[in-house]
Amino acid sequence: MSDVAPFTPAVRLSHLGDDVKTRIFEAALRVLADVGASVQHDEAVRLLQKAGCSLDSDGLVRVPRPAVERALSSAPNAFTLYDRDGAAAMELGGHNVYFGTGSDLMWQYDPHTGEHRPSRLDDIARVARVCEALPNMDFVMSGAYPTELDPRGVYAVTFLTMMRNCTKPLVIVAESEIDLGVIIDVAADVRGGRDQLRERPYFLAYVEPVSPLSHPAESVAKLLLCADAGVPVAYVPAPLLGATSPVSSAGHVVQGMAECLLGLVLHQHRAPGAPFMFGVNQGTLDMVSGQPSYAAVEGFMNYLTVVEMAKWLGLPNWGISGCTDSQAIDAQLGLEVGELTLLSMLLGSNLNHDVGFMGFGLTGALEEIVITDEFVSMNKKLLSGIPVQDEDLAVNVIAEVGPKGHYLRHPHTRRYLRKGPGQWRPRLLNRDNRDRWVECGGLDLREKARRKVQAILESEGPPTLDPVLLALAEERVAALKASPKVGSPS
Amino acid sequence: MSTTRHAIIEEIIEAVVEGEPEPVIAGVRRALEAGVDPETVLNDGLTAAMTSVGDMLDRGEVFIPDVLWSAEAMQEGLALLLPHLSEGASRSAGTVVLGTVQGDVHDIGKNFVGLMLSGAGFEVVDLGHDVTAEAFVEAVAEHGAGLLGMSAMLTTTMPVMSRTLQLLEARSLRSGVRVLVGGAPVTQSYADKIGADGWAIDATKAVAVAKELV
Repeated sequence: MSDVAPFTPAVRLSHLGDDVKTRIFEAALRVLADVGASVQHDEAVRLLQKAGCSLDSDGLVRVPRPAVERALSSAPNAFTLYDRDGAAAMELGGHNVYFGTGSDLMWQYDPHTGEHRPSRLDDIARVARVCEALPNMDFVMSGAYPTELDPRGVYAVTFLTMMRNCTKPLVIVAESEIDLGVIIDVAADVRGGRDQLRERPYFLAYVEPVSPLSHPAESVAKLLLCADAGVPVAYVPAPLLGATSPVSSAGHVVQGMAECLLGLVLHQHRAPGAPFMFGVNQGTLDMVSGQPSYAAVEGFMNYLTVVEMAKWLGLPNWGISGCTDSQAIDAQLGLEVGELTLLSMLLGSNLNHDVGFMGFGLTGALEEIVITDEFVSMNKKLLSGIPVQDEDLAVNVIAEVGPKGHYLRHPHTRRYLRKGPGQWRPRLLNRDNRDRWVECGGLDLREKARRKVQAILESEGPPTLDPVLLALAEERVAALKASPKVGSPS
Repeated sequence: MSTTRHAIIEEIIEAVVEGEPEPVIAGVRRALEAGVDPETVLNDGLTAAMTSVGDMLDRGEVFIPDVLWSAEAMQEGLALLLPHLSEGASRSAGTVVLGTVQGDVHDIGKNFVGLMLSGAGFEVVDLGHDVTAEAFVEAVAEHGAGLLGMSAMLTTTMPVMSRTLQLLEARSLRSGVRVLVGGAPVTQSYADKIGADGWAIDATKAVAVAKELV
């Protein structure tokens, strides 16, 4: 699954001119320099001051332009994630596009019974197994929150479960720098040391500041730990349009960028050149129902802008795909998953999480992951561009067949299909005629996806983890759970 | 069968599946020289290979042009084998007269059916498109065809199928020929209504129905 050529679309979407991008960036700089932000971590404030920022009498940190520019120039414009075995798997940067799940869904559609029920630890194992088997899922994020477990050390348990059930790179979430530290220790054991982990990062940590303009102690502490350990980190705010950010698209992006870039300044001052991922999550508050949405078209508009800004700044970006507001595995799911996923591919968005998300990030369905995988496969073909060599223009072939002939038996047809670009084949989508479709059981996409999920879960899983490493990891996680430093159940 | 003979048959199968005529011809020649029963070469080699290719197409493992190439390679092998086969052995699955009906110029579907039938061992007499009822009937009589296949892509041209059947009756040829109809607007119930013997939704099914009919 590793060391594969990254997918980079030949067909691309870009809609902002340099003048517009400059205006957005300048506006974000004004927010950083004039409005400032609340940074609730003393050491971080001292670091920011050393980086040229001011701590003013109102308690807010203000970040001047040179500090941002310095951070932008030291941050790498690409970095690589490696799989469990240490093989390069994701080159994050440029227009390379990768997909994977999201984290912490509280509910699942049970893959066996179809019941909507609270998420469990075994759901995380299943998400990892399914992603491992799907060729277009590149990384794994937990997909579920184990609601049955004591919350103490729960993210370390989650990490261990993902690691045991797949070999692909991981994207992780942690409660604080304490459990993140344990997760880093376990990953270092897998790699054979801290330096080796720094050289070949196994995971990216996802960290969020709180909009608007607030950087809590735990978020900042995790960010700094990642900088110190050389673990890639995405520092991504999730401002909600019209609630925790301005309602205007541009305003949402400006604030989100200011939040993310403060993280970048701190991170790069601590460890210049350490891998950092830029992003602003797109959430929209439905102003009639009060329900937040993942698939509102206004959110998509912000997303287009954010990804373009990331490219313009030269930073790898955090993206989103494969998710829906639908509560059912239905046509709305297909439509929203399709639109958002295709946008990510057209944009060349780098790391696209949240595949398998339903109902504003509360419910997960493995079928949705399988459906998204098929969609990505199809659109990798679509966006690969058409070759136009003489062989492709095929004037000689057209001459040979001539008017009223046909191409079914021409060698060119066979050569193209067998040795050339071929023809994309659906694995889930129907192309059977009515008779054959009925004969094969008359299955709709949902049912076919469900059966594919079953087949994956019944197949042999990935190679098991070295038992010595596993025992060591379990020991570290057990120690974390017993530690007085981790929070007690709330 | 000895290991060598078995290996030769396997080579023939592989060459047919790959759609390579030369190795098929070489394989058949070697099989005959090694004293393999010609009917074994036909049934266990050439025919078995085409069945395998058909299954691969069903599973989406090969493309339609691959099947056509395999069929062509198989035919080359068969031509070499024919003089060695006993009279009773199945040399041809039968003769089919094929055409798109009068008033209709759509013939890629019909061409495709023709290629597939030919791959399945039928002798195909393709009358092309815009074929009148009279032309169909004359060709059936001329070639002594056991099967007539008519294609229509337009609802307005479908009645030619019915007219052809009536003309076959009038010329007392109807009992000697089985009639297969197809094309996007043509249905099983239409086939039943006009008294055709078979209908198929696509080219692959057409081969199956044709084999059942003869």
